[in-house]
Amino acid sequence: MNDPELNAILKAARLPESATDTWEDIPRTVLAEIRRDSRTGRPSAWRRRRLSWGFALATAAALLAFTLGYWRGHAPGPDVLQDAKFLRETLALFPHQVRAIVKDEQGVSLVLSDTGDVPASPPLYVRICDGRQCVSAVTFSGQEIQIAGRRVTVLADPRGGIILEGHDFIWSNTRPELAGNDLKIQAHRLDAVRL
Amino acid sequence: MAGMDEENIWVTQSRNGDHAAFESLIREHQGMIHALTYRMTGSLADARDLTQETFIRAFRQLATFRGEAKFSSWLCRIAVNACLNWRARESRRTEIHRRWSDENLEAGAGGESSRVLPDQTSARVQAALNRLPAKQRAALILTVYEELSLEEAARVLQCTTATAGWRVFAARAKLKQWLQPRRNDDE
Repeated sequence: MNDPELNAILKAARLPESATDTWEDIPRTVLAEIRRDSRTGRPSAWRRRRLSWGFALATAAALLAFTLGYWRGHAPGPDVLQDAKFLRETLALFPHQVRAIVKDEQGVSLVLSDTGDVPASPPLYVRICDGRQCVSAVTFSGQEIQIAGRRVTVLADPRGGIILEGHDFIWSNTRPELAGNDLKIQAHRLDAVRL
Repeated sequence: MAGMDEENIWVTQSRNGDHAAFESLIREHQGMIHALTYRMTGSLADARDLTQETFIRAFRQLATFRGEAKFSSWLCRIAVNACLNWRARESRRTEIHRRWSDENLEAGAGGESSRVLPDQTSARVQAALNRLPAKQRAALILTVYEELSLEEAARVLQCTTATAGWRVFAARAKLKQWLQPRRNDDE
């Protein structure tokens, strides 16, 4: 199938008919909500949600500082990101919130989602060396993370294929020669860290 | 359809708290946003919720709209973000998408979900869209159905053009495989 044939099939797909009241109901509901906002003069529901998430994240950051401090004090091993117990406990502490756990020269840091929308999937171990530094991370398929000064999208398929996509490179564990620059990259699934 | 000048007036009036002007903007764009959210979710009920959510967020964020992009592109960005953060209904989404795939893509049309769509092709295409990762689905919908260029889609998706291009490429590769004509389609 070529591109024009695919386009023809996609364009042939019609939308289902919506209920007749949909086009009246949408403006009515939206206007009722924004009138409620302007009457009450309170922070909007959206802002209140953000404030509550902010509070939750502040608590989480405090807990995290404690957790990582504990682990550092107890020397879990040279590469904490390969430590299944540490990873399981950290992921259980912030369900659906951990976008990445990053380890660099500064230590270990946690990247949390502010919306708790990280889907459950097998964790992926990623290590990128660019000649000056090496940074490793545990993350999940579909996440876009900042690693080694680069914004990298991590994608995985069920057969173990992993693709890293950055602004100036694309790397796959099945065809690592396609990295296209001098980066040294490793990536694999952490099957031992299932929650 | 309103002209750009009329739309700009509605935007300015809405910024000043004119609800009637904002209602005009809703009526102008609700069809486009509803189509986008439907193709992103595969659910009419969720498309309606997400369309409402999009316009409510848009009104609250109107002060940030500077007119550098088209108002419709700015709305698309809000709608796509709402769809990507569709977490509250995650279990429902998973169930809907699993059912769609089972009924319409692999086993053939005729299941419950296909009956809301007007024909078998529409059901198969929506089932295939549902199977795509959300960001690839968004990139494909914006470029195919909203007919945005890769640069415009990248701005909506807040990523680089290369990333948007890669997502569209990956989505198209999967769709070509999943939407291959079935043998009995030719009979």
